[in-house]
Amino acid sequence: MAVMTKAGDWKSYQRVLLPPVKNLHQLHVYREHGGYETLKKVLTEMEPQDVTAEMKRSSLRGRGGAGFPTGLKWSFMPPVKPDVPRYLCCNADESEPGTFKDRQLREYNPHVLFEGSLVAGDGMSLKACYLYVRGEYADWITHMQKELANAYDSKLVGKNMLGTKHNMDIIIHKGAGAYICGEETSLMESLEGKRAYPRIKPPFPAQSGIWKCPTTINNVETLACAPLILGRGADWFASIGAEKNPGPLLYGISGHVNRPGVYEYPTGMLITDLLEIAGGMRGGKKLKALIPGGASVPVLRADMIEGVTMDIESLREAGSMLGTAGMLFLDEDTDMVAFLRRVAHFYHHESCGQCTPCREGTGWMENLITRIDDGEGNLRDLDLLLDLCDQMEGRTVCALADAAAWPVRNTIKRFREDFERRCRPAVWAVNA
Amino acid sequence: MAEFIRNPVVELPDPNPEAHFSEEDLVFTEDEKSRITDWVNQYPTSDGAVMWTLWLAQEKFGFLPPEVLQLVATELSLPYAQVYGVATFYTQYYKEKKGQIVFDVCTCFSCQFCGGYDILAYLEEKLDVKRGHTSACGRYTLQEVECLGACGSAPMMQVDNGPYMHNLTPEKIDTVLASLEAGQSLPFVSITLPQDEDEMGGNRRTDADAEERYLTPPRPRQTQ
Ligand SMILES: Cc1cc2nc3c(=O)[nH]c(=O)nc-3n(C[C@H](O)[C@H](O)[C@H](O)COP(=O)(O)O)c2cc1C
Ligand code: SF4
Ligand code: FES
Repeated sequence: MAVMTKAGDWKSYQRVLLPPVKNLHQLHVYREHGGYETLKKVLTEMEPQDVTAEMKRSSLRGRGGAGFPTGLKWSFMPPVKPDVPRYLCCNADESEPGTFKDRQLREYNPHVLFEGSLVAGDGMSLKACYLYVRGEYADWITHMQKELANAYDSKLVGKNMLGTKHNMDIIIHKGAGAYICGEETSLMESLEGKRAYPRIKPPFPAQSGIWKCPTTINNVETLACAPLILGRGADWFASIGAEKNPGPLLYGISGHVNRPGVYEYPTGMLITDLLEIAGGMRGGKKLKALIPGGASVPVLRADMIEGVTMDIESLREAGSMLGTAGMLFLDEDTDMVAFLRRVAHFYHHESCGQCTPCREGTGWMENLITRIDDGEGNLRDLDLLLDLCDQMEGRTVCALADAAAWPVRNTIKRFREDFERRCRPAVWAVNA
Repeated sequence: MAEFIRNPVVELPDPNPEAHFSEEDLVFTEDEKSRITDWVNQYPTSDGAVMWTLWLAQEKFGFLPPEVLQLVATELSLPYAQVYGVATFYTQYYKEKKGQIVFDVCTCFSCQFCGGYDILAYLEEKLDVKRGHTSACGRYTLQEVECLGACGSAPMMQVDNGPYMHNLTPEKIDTVLASLEAGQSLPFVSITLPQDEDEMGGNRRTDADAEERYLTPPRPRQTQ
């Protein structure tokens, strides 16, 4: 029986980002299935402003974590000036712990990403797209380079694409292992061949991005949605999934479930349905906690997920965020102190060190949580940690400090007993 | 304070470090030079090519001591300080010599709770090397790294900044070590999406060297 939720009749959902086609990553297979037809339509029939308008109408919101409306972002690009090149950066850095959807999308359908970048290029009159891939994905870079070369050979990318007068290049840039490069201004610094220190905003990338030229930054999955929207229409896209945050979504499910992996479904799926799809908790254990969108988003207790759906509004009401939709399910045996210690270690390791509250704060966070985990902590350390979060949030150049503070604050708030049990008592019994 | 001045906590780098490579070794071949030129042409200025060139240098020399950084700086006509700054910012550029084979075991939270630390401990025992160190014979380096973007197939590791090994178990590590010992290279493994398994009966790529499914991980014991 069809179940109606925000996600609609998801049981009969047909995948569009990763349609069930063998060898879709090969150019000829992709083209046999209608690939690059949208690009042709966009290049020959549509005006740039229509492309952006269509993107706006689709209500697509960025899949990189912040959920910014994509059409709006594209419309921030200033008017075209001769001699000022304009760029697109595709954020394929994907280092948020718990997130692995972009890698699978690139492995199985790289051409939809190339086509999306080219469509964006037409919509914003861009010169080139820099594809920033994290250095760890060396194998996938090789695969993408091969497919990109095929696309160049078939005149789909480069000079006079598809026989029109349009030109655009796609250039793959290999990172070298730094989470902070996922932050948009840091990514631009890294592309310019500098240390990846995030920049102070404003100026925003649309005014002054890479090499001080107008630049737009989008996530891999966001760009992969562009050909779908322009090919099948914004109305079709807006009708999928949750009303205010529509479209197909790649759910990366990991942790203590029976069938982890990347699943494509509409947005707005019930968390409980997704858990069932992923085979339930392994070993028949009970769910203890869920991180719905990568390490930075607040953790949810098992009793908080009833009726919550995977879209920006519903998760905000529940006290968390959609983030990257990289979902980590943790079972009843999980030690939340050990969890938080590892998360704090991650942020301490990845802080770029530019701002004092972040550089020092993440270090002290790790020290304090390590102390609690080792059984040497005092109860007042918990309040000290919460105070530390206050000192870090909103006082830094980029959002990494906030991203480090949220999980600490919320894990302590929502699993306080777990932490208190590990701390020394507040009052020592007086020796009678 | 005086104590601090007498014993500065920060160890300053040696101003005249001993070179690891001789003058003759420190050159790029014509072929490598043309690759560098190709990279430079992809960016408005030669700065952009710094990361690709450092990767090339690391592939060639194994690691990036000051004289190699100087070579890269000269090749791209950039200040040494900038190249040094980039090389020291990113974790994947090796500033000191590593083993011939580097194991990067992910222990970030998805892997942590699926047995990542067990895998790390098993490798420590098997290779007789502590995490973060190189074995006495200089063959293996074992490192603990942050999320590598394969959380669904946790616990996992990366070998030599190249292939990913998924769904690790001690038995699987034994096989991997045996094939490395035999001088074989590891295959590219493609993970089958659960939905593909249902709808297509297997992996969608027919050209992958090896296929695997996302598996239910074993129960973890250690979390640190
Ligand atoms: C510390 C930090 C790390 C980030 N890492 C990533 C990342 O790995 N991948 C990504 O797509 N976006 C990442 N973002 C979000 C980007 O800054 C940016 O919002 C996003 O790429 C915009 O793309 P979208 O509009 O398509 O979502 C990160 C943000 C911060 C603050
Ligand atoms: S908040 Fe942290 S990561 Fe971001 S710029 Fe400041 S120090 Fe760097
Ligand atoms: S946590 Fe290990 S790969 Fe993501």
